[in-house]
Amino acid sequence: MKSKREEFLEILMKYQGILHKVNLVYFKNQTEREDNFQEMVYQMWKSFPQLQKRKSIGSWIYAVAINTSLSGLKKNTRINYQENLPEYPGISDAYREMEINEDTQLLMEAIHNLNEIDRSILLLYLEEKSYDEIAQIIGITNSNVGVRINRAKETLKKHLKPLYHGK
Amino acid sequence: MENNELQKLWENIDTAMGHVSKSELNRVLRDKVKKTVRKYLYIIGLSVTISAGVIIFLIITALNRPGDELYLLNNMVLGILTLTALVISVKAWIKLQNKNTGQSLKEWLNAQIKQLTEGLTGKHSKLYVITIPVFFILLLLSIHVYFENMLFSEVLRNEESITGMVIAIPIGLFVSYQVHKAIRAYQKKQLEYLYEIQKKLD
Repeated sequence: MKSKREEFLEILMKYQGILHKVNLVYFKNQTEREDNFQEMVYQMWKSFPQLQKRKSIGSWIYAVAINTSLSGLKKNTRINYQENLPEYPGISDAYREMEINEDTQLLMEAIHNLNEIDRSILLLYLEEKSYDEIAQIIGITNSNVGVRINRAKETLKKHLKPLYHGK
Repeated sequence: MENNELQKLWENIDTAMGHVSKSELNRVLRDKVKKTVRKYLYIIGLSVTISAGVIIFLIITALNRPGDELYLLNNMVLGILTLTALVISVKAWIKLQNKNTGQSLKEWLNAQIKQLTEGLTGKHSKLYVITIPVFFILLLLSIHVYFENMLFSEVLRNEESITGMVIAIPIGLFVSYQVHKAIRAYQKKQLEYLYEIQKKLD
């Protein structure tokens, strides 16, 4: 019979992509991402007994990862939400180290300019979660999810405009 | 911009992300558990050591002054206060560490806010205004009376002792309140941040 830890590690192995993506959406700095990854793994391990009560493993992992990241987001390191985004902002060095193309780096920059809640919602949307699942993970109504997704997409559209019209 | 264009960009993240091996995940968990246990042991160990030091001092000095009833009473009250403060503070600290992150963001935020608000504005939140001075004065008296080789009642009538205490008490109280104020300011900052997030959720 598998030990509890073994079972946990197998789930973690299978779903670790979620942790990496949540980390990426909230932290630009590599050291902060490593610290937060460690914290997320630990918080998951701590709340592992609660998993039995949840219907979906994925939803549980998203919830732990988002709540832990928000908790770890220090006030002074947060990037302020900008009402008016610059037309074609530069890409920070934070993503240059990753092997992702420039367009995706620009997408990450745009996501970082959303507020903390909208970042989570957009991440879940991009991960193709249903409105029901997003509402359950965040704790808001389905209609609110829809409104926020549209608003976030509008903001991204402005930010990514040069990619589709300016080239 | 179409949804599938966004999705395509996002998929690029998936392929670029390096995954960690099972043994590496196990190491990450083991290291974090070790670090957390060390933090717990440090905080709890430090609190227990300081409290144990105070209790040992109170017992030794009380044993050396069996006839001074007021002094014994002073030490007894101080001992009870020390033990109560130790239990309450360790329990509160452990509760604060228990983040219960497996619930929805809204539930988690509400629980965190409730916990911090209770500590900052709950019915026992102002207790420190009384306990800090009482604890400090009793401790100062216990040390002073013991090393002056006088009876407790004599110290209270001794002009030099009173002058000394009039100088020492405000300094000690100022330092204690400053430490307490800094802890509360940190908790208030955390609470403000949580409220800010909650506002963005509504």
